Amino acid sequence: MAEYAIELRNITKTFGSVIANKNITLKVKPGEILALLGENGSGKTTLMNVLSGIYKPDGGQIFVNGKEVSITSPEESKKLGIGMVHQHFKLIDVFSAADNICLGDNSGKFFLSKNRYKKIDDFAKKLGFEIDSRKIVMNMAVSEKQTLEIIKVLYYGAKIIILDEPTAVLTVQETSRLFDILRKMKNEGHSIVIITHKLNEVMEISDRVTVLRKGEYIDTVTTSETNNQKLTELMVGRKINLNIERPVTEKQPPLLEIRNLTVKDDEGNTAINDLSFYIRSGEILGVAGIAGCGQKELCEAIAGLRPIVCGKLIHKGESIAGLSPKKIIEKGIAMSFIPEDRLGMGLSPSLSITDNMLLKNYTQASSKFNPFINRKKGRSDAETVIKDLSIDTPSTETPVRKLSGGNVQKVLVGREIKAGPNVIVTAYPVRGLDINSSYAIYNILNKQKKDGVGILYVGEDLDVMLELCDKIMVLCRGKMMGVVNSCNTTKEMLGLMMTGTENLTAKDGKTPGIAADSNIKEA
Amino acid sequence: MSRKIIALLLAVFMCLGVFAGCNNQTNQNSDKTNDGAQNTDSSFKVGAIYITSQNDTAGYTFAHHYGITTAMKNIGLSEDNLFIVDNIPEDKTQVSNAIDTLAGKGCNIIFGISFGYIDAFAEAAEKEEYKDIIFSHATGYKSNETNFNNYFGRIYQARYLTGIAAGLKALELQNPSIGYVAAYGTEYAETCSGINAFALGVQAVYPEAVVHVNKISTWGDETKERQAAEALIDTYNCCVIAQHCDSAQPQKVAEERKIFSCGYNSDMTKESPNAQLTSAIWNWPVYYQTAIEAAMNDPENFMENVGIYYGGLKENFVGISPVTDNCAEGTKEIIEKVSDMIISGEWDVFTGTKLSISETGEITKVTAATLDNTDSTVIAEDGTMYCYVGEDEDRALSASDASGIAFEHDAVIKGSMNYYVKGVVEG
Amino acid sequence: MKTKQPFVRIVRRTDFPLWAMIIINIAAVLVAVGIGAILLAAIKVDPFVYYKDMFTIGTIDNRFAYKNFEGLIEFFVPLLITSLALALTFKMKFWNIGGEGQFIMGAISSATVALLLGNSLPSWLTLIMMAVCGAVSAGIYGLVVAFFKVKWGTNETLMTLMLNYIALYALKYFGETQAGWNFFLSGESVRPVFATFPESAWMYTIKIGKFSLNITLVIAILLCALIYIYMKKTKHGYEISVVGDSQSTAKYAGMKVGRIVMRTMFLSAALIGLAGTFYVSTAHSLSTSVTNNVGWTGIIVAWLSRLNPVMILVTSLLISVLRVGCQTAATNFPVIDSNFADLLQGIILFTVLMADFLTRFKIVFRKNTEKEVEDK
Repeated sequence: MAEYAIELRNITKTFGSVIANKNITLKVKPGEILALLGENGSGKTTLMNVLSGIYKPDGGQIFVNGKEVSITSPEESKKLGIGMVHQHFKLIDVFSAADNICLGDNSGKFFLSKNRYKKIDDFAKKLGFEIDSRKIVMNMAVSEKQTLEIIKVLYYGAKIIILDEPTAVLTVQETSRLFDILRKMKNEGHSIVIITHKLNEVMEISDRVTVLRKGEYIDTVTTSETNNQKLTELMVGRKINLNIERPVTEKQPPLLEIRNLTVKDDEGNTAINDLSFYIRSGEILGVAGIAGCGQKELCEAIAGLRPIVCGKLIHKGESIAGLSPKKIIEKGIAMSFIPEDRLGMGLSPSLSITDNMLLKNYTQASSKFNPFINRKKGRSDAETVIKDLSIDTPSTETPVRKLSGGNVQKVLVGREIKAGPNVIVTAYPVRGLDINSSYAIYNILNKQKKDGVGILYVGEDLDVMLELCDKIMVLCRGKMMGVVNSCNTTKEMLGLMMTGTENLTAKDGKTPGIAADSNIKEA
Repeated sequence: MSRKIIALLLAVFMCLGVFAGCNNQTNQNSDKTNDGAQNTDSSFKVGAIYITSQNDTAGYTFAHHYGITTAMKNIGLSEDNLFIVDNIPEDKTQVSNAIDTLAGKGCNIIFGISFGYIDAFAEAAEKEEYKDIIFSHATGYKSNETNFNNYFGRIYQARYLTGIAAGLKALELQNPSIGYVAAYGTEYAETCSGINAFALGVQAVYPEAVVHVNKISTWGDETKERQAAEALIDTYNCCVIAQHCDSAQPQKVAEERKIFSCGYNSDMTKESPNAQLTSAIWNWPVYYQTAIEAAMNDPENFMENVGIYYGGLKENFVGISPVTDNCAEGTKEIIEKVSDMIISGEWDVFTGTKLSISETGEITKVTAATLDNTDSTVIAEDGTMYCYVGEDEDRALSASDASGIAFEHDAVIKGSMNYYVKGVVEG
Repeated sequence: MKTKQPFVRIVRRTDFPLWAMIIINIAAVLVAVGIGAILLAAIKVDPFVYYKDMFTIGTIDNRFAYKNFEGLIEFFVPLLITSLALALTFKMKFWNIGGEGQFIMGAISSATVALLLGNSLPSWLTLIMMAVCGAVSAGIYGLVVAFFKVKWGTNETLMTLMLNYIALYALKYFGETQAGWNFFLSGESVRPVFATFPESAWMYTIKIGKFSLNITLVIAILLCALIYIYMKKTKHGYEISVVGDSQSTAKYAGMKVGRIVMRTMFLSAALIGLAGTFYVSTAHSLSTSVTNNVGWTGIIVAWLSRLNPVMILVTSLLISVLRVGCQTAATNFPVIDSNFADLLQGIILFTVLMADFLTRFKIVFRKNTEKEVEDK
């Protein structure tokens, strides 16, 4: 038996003029969990796509069990025993679990065998998975879908399993269950590559860590001989302070109060259900919850972009329910929502930074009756923001789409802050950012907080939220599970609340989310 | 670097231009010598504006293109002297621009073949800079006194003759039902005068016969023409099918169903050898030769020499194809006699006098009013023609003198006839 | 080991210098001209004679050369205005392919004014009334589509397409139906033919020697400048860009997206209607082929020009020269009919579009990338 299950030597892959992977070497032993660590854009996913046959490398060699191979298609990689679980699941929503697995069956039989359900149930049971092979994927929870993906690759005999950011969509409890599965598979002799950028998980699960930075191979270290700080240095390339500041501010009266808010999503289902909470000046309120539990609808409702079904929105004692987005902007409520594609809402990608600066105030920048747009103001705003947030751009006239992710987000956040708001609603502001940029954004938010701005922070990373936010509100399927003070709670507690296992609202005598010094007079 | 490339390209471009110029000059020179040797008048240029492509192989544009090219060949003009702008819709700006193009090429006479070109031609003829160009417009009704005429043919005369052939055949078969596939009906004088002349011809030999018209509402559509002919045969058990549409489909249907047929436009015997009686045909070269020769020789007096031109059997502008052996006995002789009467000016179709032809071939003139198919008088015994039924009586015109000699006003061609004579049934 | 790589890959370009763009477009035209020359030679036509006539729109050795320029303007003005108008909606990612229908609506309405009021009003007032009615009615014809889109999310591409046919068949109905009410037809002709407008409804021209300059040309160029300013310098233009780029961003910024869409579509359709008015008042009559396909050609012009008004001015002029030139050149040769002229135009357009593709993407061959890697 060869020493390594997989060995990649000097893999290079370019997209046009962009070098995604440059001379990367990666070795995985049988029965080992290797973490592939790197920031967004460091080339982790590209490298794994090369291994699973989706991309063809421009140069380099691949060895499987000591033999040199050429992987030209996902089909071949499957035959070599390599299985990949993608970040975005490759499942067909309307098929059952068993049918999704049989989809990849190339045995040449024309008909699906009738006993396929039993066959797959048995297979899962043998490996210790719990799954209903007749369940339609559409009706599955995220963790179930992920389990199905893993079963799928194992069913086709994968000895080498690659998982791309598997924990991004999971709760704390689900993550630990996944790690149990991975350990079990490791003990059975499988080789596992787990792609991630979360240091805690790397430390918890992996045997060795390979670090990539900007498409280049940096180092491979044994997990037990390293720590968070060292890994970060490898990943970022320099020393960095990993502590997030949480300045203490004086208690202020509630700035924005939400009472009994109900909102529907695009399909007409209830997305936010009877939600009450408030934000004070100089406070960061975190919103935690698994993906799609109403965060987007909540942000849009506050910004006036989504009609509310019922409830009150009180800003400085005045109702803002039913006002146009423009009126709400004028009241000083800024909202920035970074969707998954990062450019969808808040910025106009083809327009220049100057034009994007004008987005919310182009009508006010000059007299109402002046038909011309005042670009001078936009340009000076752009110059200020570029300087203040050290945005890397050739000029103020560069289209936003040509900037890198971090700079795009800085433009967005910079504009919102430039407008001098008193409430900032920000969702996923560090999504996809490198560590440096993320910390820049945290600092900006903290500065605003010190200046007395009330901030609603919708986030993904519980570790960050625990450090940054004063209080954290947990949502589960649009319902509030409670508001906790981040000083005296734990990640595990939040995880339980996110899945709805723990509901603090029922425990206390008082209804959470209503300030004692509320501006709202009960009728 | 970039400037150098641009300069280089410009240089190449200019060289090409100069080369093009040189080449062209030599070409022109050689053209001239050629023309001088071959043609009677190398400088005379003919322009034409067509509604569809000049490379059509059948249909209206083809007939005119054939007419113009044949006429030019007969006169001895080279093909290079013909300038064509084709695929020009009936849009005034586009027609005007086409006229400008042809005028710019130095054309001495410009033909326009579609009715809708009328206003553009009328306007162009009035322009000061175009006063030495002759404009000639087919199927229209406008003209001026110096350089703008219109032209069309008395195809109804030929149709009357084919009607006689059809009537004799029906009489022989003792089947009074005759079919007629028409592009349009009473909307256009061109179509209804043809139908009426055909019906009068039929009735001259077989008074009880009925002409069933099936209208397809387009000048040419092979599928519709075929379907119309089949419907006529299936519904009315017609024994002869005549047509006024572009393709030969009705002829082919007659051939397949083993009945008889009369063609149109050109000799359609080869399409239906066993069905064909005779076809009403156009001889467009006749007009084009007349017009081009007049324009070449005496352009100042074009309107005196050619003028508004409605040629008929006499000028051989229209005619019939040779009577085939499929016809009833004696058909050829009868048709020749009637044809002679029309050519000599002794008699014409739409007058207060009708012909009655016995089985033995004796022709008698009967003075009788012509009724339309609602039994109102459309042509009185004295030749007064109420050519626009349903409108004011003032539009009644004198169709002929009392003896039945042809009229001069040409209402049939200018397009005022809008009725069917008795014995024609539409549908 | 060398892993297999596709021989050719297509890669999006980030930047492309202007000079290279000009060269590649000129090269495209040269290639097309070359292909055309081969085809012409194949049917025994001297390509030099043909091209000389084509590129000069037949003005050489022509005592009526000024007439050819007049004809060029008559084609160019509607095309320029229509392309500009289409660019406005395309910038908003609203696919108005109803230029034909809007053009016809403008033509019909202004013809109505001309035929009913032309005799009783002074010329300047008739023309202004025609322009206003043509623009407003076409604008409403377009607005309907925008309204449905905003209100019920209907597909504007399908709707504008369908409305094209409704307008066209309405026009054909007016053109073929003889009846007392139908004032569109000439009273003196017994066959249906569109009436000529009274002289007060004829567009003004300025005589410069023999050449008469149609003032619609001046207006069209003025409009081009105005639309440039509108798109680049005004708040409305800014709103159009944002809505076109990202509707959710526009909503987020507090823009009333529905109102912007309807306003822009109205403006676009009204401009096209104005082009229709200009066309009929220059022709002095309606016809069933008034549009000359500008509603379709305008789409190509707008895209080739990347929705830039100045580029549209140049492109529509070139396309007009191509159209008029091809027709003129084809006249010389009996073997060349208008279909061949269309074919040649098609080849030129195709190569230019290919060139446009090359300016946006580059084709990478396998060898090149390997070399790059080895170099490094």
